[in-house]
Amino acid sequence: MSKNTKVVGHDAVRIDMEEKITGAALYTDDLPFGPNLLHMSVLASPHAHAEILKIDTSEAEKLPGVMAVATGKDYPQKYGLYLQDKSILPVDRVRYVGEQVAVVIARTKEIADEGCKLIKVDYKVLEPILDVRDAMKEDAVLIHPDLGDYQVIPWINPQPGTNISHVRKIRKGDVEKGFEEADFILEDEYHVPHVVHACIETHISVARYDYTKRFTMWNSTQSPHTQRHIMANALGIPHKDIRIIAPYVGGGFGGKAGISMEALTVACQKVPGYPVKLRWSRKEEFLNSSQRQELRATVKMGVKKNGKITALRHIMHWDVGASAEYGNNVVNATGFSATGPYFVPNVSIDSVGVYTNHPPCAAYRGFGYSEFHFGIESHMDRIAKAIGIDPVEFRRINAIKTDDEVAYKCHMNPSGMLECIDKVAEAIEWGKEEVSDDPDIVIAKGFASAWKAPAMPPNAGSSVFIKFSEDGSINVLVSGMEIGQGLHTAVAKFASEILTVPLDKIRVELPDTDRNPYEWQTVASHETWELGNATIRAARDARDKIFDVVSRAFHLEKESLYLEDGKVKDDLDPDFSLPFEDFVITGIQTEFNTWVGGPIMGIGSFIPEFTNAMVDPDTGMGGHPNVHYTVGAGAVKIELNKKTGVVRVVKMAEGFDCGKAINPDLVKDQIVGGFIQGLGTALYEVCIFDDKGKMLNTNFTDYKIPTILEMPDEMIPVIVEVPQPDGPFGARGMSEHTMIPVMPAVANAIANAIGLRIKDIPLTAEKVALRPLQKDFVPEK
Amino acid sequence: MVREIEFTLNGYHQKITVKPSEKLLDVLRDRLGITSAKYGCGKGECGACTVNLDGKTVRSCLMYAVEADGSVIETLEGFQRLGKKEIQEIYQKHNAFQCGFCAPGFIMSTDELLSQNPDPDEEEIKEALAGNLCRCTGYKNIFSAVKEMVEKRKGRES
Amino acid sequence: MLNFDYRRPESLVEALSLRKEWGGKSSLLMGGTDLFLAIEEEVRRPELLIDLKKIDELSRLEEKDGSVHIGAAVTYSELIRSDLIHDKLPGIWESSRLVASVGIRNSATMVGNICNAVPSAESAAPLMVRGAMIHIASSSGSRTVPAVDFFTGPRRTVVKDDEIVTSISVPLLKGKFGESYVKLGRYRGEDIAQVATAVLVDEKLNFAIAYGAVGPVPMRIPGAEAVLKGKKPTADLLDKAKAEVLSTVTPIADIRASREYRLHMCAVMFEKAIAAAVSRMETGAPAYGARLI
Repeated sequence: MSKNTKVVGHDAVRIDMEEKITGAALYTDDLPFGPNLLHMSVLASPHAHAEILKIDTSEAEKLPGVMAVATGKDYPQKYGLYLQDKSILPVDRVRYVGEQVAVVIARTKEIADEGCKLIKVDYKVLEPILDVRDAMKEDAVLIHPDLGDYQVIPWINPQPGTNISHVRKIRKGDVEKGFEEADFILEDEYHVPHVVHACIETHISVARYDYTKRFTMWNSTQSPHTQRHIMANALGIPHKDIRIIAPYVGGGFGGKAGISMEALTVACQKVPGYPVKLRWSRKEEFLNSSQRQELRATVKMGVKKNGKITALRHIMHWDVGASAEYGNNVVNATGFSATGPYFVPNVSIDSVGVYTNHPPCAAYRGFGYSEFHFGIESHMDRIAKAIGIDPVEFRRINAIKTDDEVAYKCHMNPSGMLECIDKVAEAIEWGKEEVSDDPDIVIAKGFASAWKAPAMPPNAGSSVFIKFSEDGSINVLVSGMEIGQGLHTAVAKFASEILTVPLDKIRVELPDTDRNPYEWQTVASHETWELGNATIRAARDARDKIFDVVSRAFHLEKESLYLEDGKVKDDLDPDFSLPFEDFVITGIQTEFNTWVGGPIMGIGSFIPEFTNAMVDPDTGMGGHPNVHYTVGAGAVKIELNKKTGVVRVVKMAEGFDCGKAINPDLVKDQIVGGFIQGLGTALYEVCIFDDKGKMLNTNFTDYKIPTILEMPDEMIPVIVEVPQPDGPFGARGMSEHTMIPVMPAVANAIANAIGLRIKDIPLTAEKVALRPLQKDFVPEK
Repeated sequence: MVREIEFTLNGYHQKITVKPSEKLLDVLRDRLGITSAKYGCGKGECGACTVNLDGKTVRSCLMYAVEADGSVIETLEGFQRLGKKEIQEIYQKHNAFQCGFCAPGFIMSTDELLSQNPDPDEEEIKEALAGNLCRCTGYKNIFSAVKEMVEKRKGRES
Repeated sequence: MLNFDYRRPESLVEALSLRKEWGGKSSLLMGGTDLFLAIEEEVRRPELLIDLKKIDELSRLEEKDGSVHIGAAVTYSELIRSDLIHDKLPGIWESSRLVASVGIRNSATMVGNICNAVPSAESAAPLMVRGAMIHIASSSGSRTVPAVDFFTGPRRTVVKDDEIVTSISVPLLKGKFGESYVKLGRYRGEDIAQVATAVLVDEKLNFAIAYGAVGPVPMRIPGAEAVLKGKKPTADLLDKAKAEVLSTVTPIADIRASREYRLHMCAVMFEKAIAAAVSRMETGAPAYGARLI
């Protein structure tokens, strides 16, 4: 790759920024649908687990203004992305508090709400299962008794007759032998609770079914094509007759991946011709936007005196909630990677998805990696201290290096793990002791490493159309979603770099499945890499077509042509210069007054052609499940108040090896944003349920997300660039990764401050203040 | 039960009929073409619905439209018309937002801060923006942008 | 469906006659930041909202006859911007800055805050230590109730269905004094107090101490006040006073904090609040508004 790029690698104003600061950017709720717009409301189950005996909708249907009511009877089919365990509306059983039992479509939202109140449901209440340990018991009530009948993709392994939705096992080397070789072994348990994305825009979907049986949906989504595919299969409608339009999305973080509430708006089939809007209230958003899975993990690690890890046994029980249709992939992905970014010769991993009567869980920034890194990275610190090695040095000793064997025996991609560790340690001034003037305050630092691979099927594809206009400007059509991460700016830069058109002459179009080419989903931090590659292919395709036309029209050698500043130039003729606007639409007039060429377009597709998900279910070996890992590290400096227990992060440093920073400033913005999101989950974010399974804090009154006042005084984002050979300009993704080190880094800092090892998230002031006062408290040295 | 109310919206005189239970946010969005004020929580806790009413920011999700009778309302849509582009431009320069959903609320709060406090210190900037939640950015660029706005204003006044 | 009528009287007389006519079927609307949600959540189902925002006499904020008078329409933002409040009622100024966020404070009023009467009401404890008086009017006359007697239970006050709280008056103090308000939240951002402590000390070392969010109603702690009265607060005395605090408060465990942590923080905050109030009286530092925990 050329080092002399003109836009790639340089800072720029985001291409979507002007729209967003003027109010021009339209989100789904901002679209005008006229007076025919109907509204949908949802009747939610008050029970976490119950059989539905009878639903009487007759009173609701009589209410003036109510247009339609739908229940599970209308939609007997199951659907799902990886495992079809979801119903559009439940037929015979509810599985979590808040599950939608019926929907009402009415002239106004107020009438629809009123209609819901008139629906009578007779339930037979069942005992809810709210803990994976109860769900795993031999005699546990089955949450999905028909698990064996559900359709499932080949690499997901549900266990019919149990509450286990999926198991991913890794067996590498000989773990028992590895523990025998160890000089020191530590085994312990860690717990990470359910949390939520808390996007500021709640989920919203508007759907219209017309008299030709065509579906159009406007969704706040990360996954327009995946949604179309699921809907087509669930409803038996050809893909061409479902159109999903994705306006701007007000935050996704995985919560708007796949399909959730959008499935409900299919009830618009009952009112053809009318657009129907469903917008989650904040409370509904908490329950139905797919929470982050709860994790109970047992980590057993053995090390030699010299600090080399000899063996790891990692058992993870994931609370996937009432549905695992998407969340199973979290279980799967973490199963392959739960060593953390280290070389471990002997590995045993069991990653187990377990159904409970909590709300359904799925993707959340980091895709399970944040959760298991909490245990692994807490463990790393504890072992380092126990064997007398500095925690950062201990990580250096074991850091995964290029070509090392990962847990499933493939070889590590080029990566700068050591560089990340060193630069972050330097930025946080690791080893420099600091003392506060305030006797109540202890200053300490904490460190954590991280890695993550995109979790995606082996055939997940991206594609791109590039089309020119008369003035030489470009529209790039993609279905990769701009959810705030800056993807469209990156796409524009790839097109700009290759076609030499300035950024202000490039528009990147938001997805519309009728018009924009296919994209699997905007998840997994794979888009910069994958859609980037597809964009480069599309740009090269357009460039090739340009060279072809110009060489034919002017009888020039194709090989000697090149592009510069939006013009075609010729190596062999310095005077030759043909601006795009002269020919990209009209073609070129020949000496015979005929025309060659025509409208220039470029197309590009990409799938990773080297991945393979079909591994041995007992060992996890034999496949190539991941395209690559992105590695990094994070560190915090805290001020801990011994009396109040308040932990304040005053400084952070995080560094990631993104291969090539396409937009260095946006990479830094991802680091800062992801860190703060991680900080919330580290210190106070938690979904609180009562013993009946009802979530008690479905609002920002009691589910706290960080405000500007929680911002550390100093934030140091670090960029490391060890190129990814198959990446666009060497790039690989890094957006999710930024959240991963935060929980363990803060936990390690607390342990370093007062010897308190907290093994259950969140790391609240209450735990920090009270636990050291307990009689049996033994400080960690 | 319906009430006729009059108010000024971004410099335009408006007269509409509302039910007492209609929220100002819904009336602005569904009947007056305002899209910048967003629904985020419905409880006044996220700031996405922030509009300026009689010179101060309010949570339009926590007000009935009837309460706005006789008032002067400004939203982000009015900024260019009302000659307030500088805040937007500096925010843009700093790439201050990511998904952008919270941006209108932040801009309204920033406008209020700068109009009431010519020289806020860092703590005052944070305090003024603490009621606006953002889940994407970590606030760093928002904060830097506002600091630059303050400096710019001071430069002009000195 | 929400179905209430709305009136915006231009005078107190008119408002009181509406109040008399509608009684318990009416709700008084000022900032509305609490009422709105009570209606949304169907905790309150008024048939009439009486909007008091256009009644001029309720928007008074002035010093008169040895007291500061805070009208029912005065918002928290107005209190924070007022030099009178900052200089004469610094504890109330300090606590007002911790109410929710700017966007709420621009609408929310102090009178609304105490009438809503949640146990964590931000202004309750600071008004109690200052011996504030609550002025209540009805068609048949008016009465004045000390702040300490105003709260009768969670979300319950002495105000009757035909009455309107018109103002709060806070007596000015002669001589030197120091105040403090310490609030426990889950983080620095907007939060409902899990424990709130207000302290006033005067130059004769008379202490007034009040707590919020640790019982069904905000409360003064007379036992602790008696222990400290007239003496320099030594470590030993503080311990005795702390014991009085801990035997008086009755915190609950809820999703915001455990009972144990609330008790722990009652003690921690007591020390901080006493120290800050005394130090402010003596030296002026720490400045009002500075973080005390």
